[in-house]
Amino acid sequence: MKPDQVKNSVLNSVRLSLGRRPGDPVAERPPAPPFRKAGNPESEIALFLKEVAALSGSAKRVNEETLESSLEDLVQSEGVKKAVLGRTDDLAGLNLEEKLKALGVEITPQGAGKHALARCDLGITGADFALPETGTLGLLASPDCPRAVSLLPRVHLAVVRPSSFRPDLDRVFLEAMDRRYLVFITGPSRTADIELTVTLGVHGPKSLHVWVV
Amino acid sequence: MPRSKVQLFITCLAEQFFPGTLENMVALLERLGVEPVFPPGQTCCGQPLYNSVFKKQTRGLALKWLKTFSRSEYPIVSPSGSCVDMVRHHYAELFPPDSPERRLADETGSRTFEFTEYLVKQLGVRDVGARFPRKVTYHASCHYLRGLGLRGEAKELLGAVDGLELRPLPEEETCCGFGGVFSVVYPEVSRAMMENKVQHILSTGAAVVTACDAGCLMNMGGGLKRAGSSVKAMHIIDILAAKE
Amino acid sequence: MSVPPKTISFGKYTKHIPPGIPSAVQKATAKFWTSREARVAELPQWEDLRRAASDIRLHTLRHLDAYLERFTDRFAGAGGRIHWAGDAEAARAAVLGLAAEKNVKTAVKVKSMATEEIGLNRALQSAGVEVWETDLGEFIAQLAGVGPSHIIVPAVHMTKEEIAGLFREKLGVDAPADPTELAAIARKILREKFLAADMGISGANFLVAETGALVTVTNEGNGRMCTTLPNLHVAVVAIDKIVPDWESLAVLLKLLARSATGQKLSAYTSFITGPGRSPDEGGPGEMHLVLLDDGRSRILADPGAIETLKCIRCGCCLNVCPVYKNVGGFAYGWFISGPTGAMFTPQILGAKTGRELPFASTLCGACNDVCPVKIPVSDILLYLRGRVVEGDAVEGPAAPPLIRAGARIGALALGTSWIYRSGAALMRSLLSPFGRDGWLNTLPPPVDRWTRVRPFPLFKSRFRKWWAGRDAAGPAGHAPFENKTRDGGKS
Repeated sequence: MKPDQVKNSVLNSVRLSLGRRPGDPVAERPPAPPFRKAGNPESEIALFLKEVAALSGSAKRVNEETLESSLEDLVQSEGVKKAVLGRTDDLAGLNLEEKLKALGVEITPQGAGKHALARCDLGITGADFALPETGTLGLLASPDCPRAVSLLPRVHLAVVRPSSFRPDLDRVFLEAMDRRYLVFITGPSRTADIELTVTLGVHGPKSLHVWVV
Repeated sequence: MPRSKVQLFITCLAEQFFPGTLENMVALLERLGVEPVFPPGQTCCGQPLYNSVFKKQTRGLALKWLKTFSRSEYPIVSPSGSCVDMVRHHYAELFPPDSPERRLADETGSRTFEFTEYLVKQLGVRDVGARFPRKVTYHASCHYLRGLGLRGEAKELLGAVDGLELRPLPEEETCCGFGGVFSVVYPEVSRAMMENKVQHILSTGAAVVTACDAGCLMNMGGGLKRAGSSVKAMHIIDILAAKE
Repeated sequence: MSVPPKTISFGKYTKHIPPGIPSAVQKATAKFWTSREARVAELPQWEDLRRAASDIRLHTLRHLDAYLERFTDRFAGAGGRIHWAGDAEAARAAVLGLAAEKNVKTAVKVKSMATEEIGLNRALQSAGVEVWETDLGEFIAQLAGVGPSHIIVPAVHMTKEEIAGLFREKLGVDAPADPTELAAIARKILREKFLAADMGISGANFLVAETGALVTVTNEGNGRMCTTLPNLHVAVVAIDKIVPDWESLAVLLKLLARSATGQKLSAYTSFITGPGRSPDEGGPGEMHLVLLDDGRSRILADPGAIETLKCIRCGCCLNVCPVYKNVGGFAYGWFISGPTGAMFTPQILGAKTGRELPFASTLCGACNDVCPVKIPVSDILLYLRGRVVEGDAVEGPAAPPLIRAGARIGALALGTSWIYRSGAALMRSLLSPFGRDGWLNTLPPPVDRWTRVRPFPLFKSRFRKWWAGRDAAGPAGHAPFENKTRDGGKS
């Protein structure tokens, strides 16, 4: 059968079973229960940090003054030699690249391809969305911040701006609807496949750092 | 004051294996001022056949049951949650909508009650004046719990029994492995489930395990016996009737 | 395991269950269940979500043709290619065709029920493609040559010592019996495969009709690897995975991870609409979707079974099923196990092949109470028992002979008052001499199936006599049963 014939045969058997004809109307979808409403900004941030920490991510607030020392701690504790950074707006103005270079970290361009990114110890991204209830980061993909920056390096640092906070999934979906790629990251890569022992970093990043700036 | 009456739906399992429980049920009802009557034409409600989906045969048994119990308009009371679930929820499915049999099933089913349900929800009784000074644990039978939605009734009644110490049963709401035909179709699996249940019962340190269904009691009682335990499986009615 | 079995013998398998399986499975189910309970307790609108999810799933199935068309239009509009597949063979052919066309040597794969259903791995391997399962548990199961024993943790039946032995034997590496070290070994080996693979294969948890997005949920990150790194991404997804829109998706996502593992959300949820837009952004240059029917459209016609397809494959029903917990996944004979498997398999493979599965349940109903999309699982199992016993339009009856014989005898004995009463009396006198303390320790076949497990109580049918004697004695205020008191009036 030609592809179109197969399509029609599957759709036809679906329609036959349902007693519908092509073009028959679709009834209104049953409603969803109300979604979560935002709390005050401070409590939303506090909840978010608590949830990320509960998922074995390291989460804290960082300001312009503490940024440099936090970065230094991170580079040392995680043994970072190579890093890749997104070029997104929320990272601009933090001078992360200069600060890392000053710490002796070699910078890999974000467009260097998967093999180069896989050799990085640290990937730094912003976050397009943050969901406090679940401790979730929402990242869109773009040439400025390719999908693999948050995936291939051993350590992922996400810098979150307060403007990225959304109360619930519905708001995120509304804004991301016409984007081609969105990923939710809720804690570091984990597995419990061997004797139910939780192991972090089986394929994705082993550690996740989240800084609310 | 005219005494209220109920029809006894004794169920085939209780008739064959728990006659003492039926006698106690009669005594308890009378103690509470309810007069039991016994329709002698009753046999089995058809649940074992229904669960193997022999529809024709189930329909026959259901009609026989409906004929037996619809002659009187008194409420129907039974010592078995699963049999009541069968009558109340599944008889109607056996007959076409709007058929006279369907209407009969709906009407009769709506006034058929499990014993503890009848006490607590119909009579509003919690304390039957029993005394049973022993440690007891309670197993929630599946159809009593999920079919009839009875979660607190049995424990409320047990809680009011003088001297009774109720020990919570781990995994109280997990099936004991009886499952009617299941117990003989897959005996090894039934055994594993029953053994889990027995272990949980023994872990409570109770002297008695109780439930509101003869099938579970046969299974758990037999399991305890085979395990060489002295823990007894007793129908809740036998505890509520005790005056020790 | 990947080839559909001709017959599934739940009874034969469960006669001799390897002793390690129930205990390992119970550790997993208890862990997931405890977490699930905690998550549900902190979400007051849980029941509202379940109700909405159930309604939305059923609504989607009832308008599936329209939503499928909407989805495929959007997906194609985003540059994805659709391959419709009426059955497993067509789905395999579509993937094999792509592999041949693109000269694929190595494929990496993320755990997917649909690819298990169509037996894709074996087909690819026969065609000379090297296939790597990349979910740690699946990777272990693949090395061991077995199927999944639990929907979420496929290799839960194996100890770390067994896994270390397997790694040494199959991978030729020095592997200590330590979960973290074993995971690190798998990470290292599979990382190279991810970077080198020509094709990434995935399933999907959902397909969003509104925008054409494919949604995958994983914890390890292998899902992201498989759908991001190779230049060719092929997803095999069954037609029942469609959700109408993002809002519906939000409802289902709130239920899925909480029900499955007791997480609020799994570590990674990817929403992919077509191939990568540009090489700079990363992502595959080509994205293909094989849409699989494989008998589902038939189920849609069946009001007694349509709700089977509401399943979102969270595995929660496994975690509460006392039968599953004592037998493990292999007993169910195909890739999908537990109550949901017992419901699904006989409908896809036919009542003859799957005839034992609807009976592999005590109908305790624990699954119904926890299902996040409110599938009446035990009702459907009962309904399928009917198909096994009485046959349907497609197949004749396929009931195990023991059940059919028992039912006939039972119906006669229970339905005829005199046989019922005299039979009971006969049993009482026949069996009493063999009793001890009111119990019978052994009975002859076939009813030894009861006494092999526990003793049988003696028949004691004395109530009618007791009642009659009581009547004759005439207790105060007691009147004999009257059979003409419809109006409640008393003579």
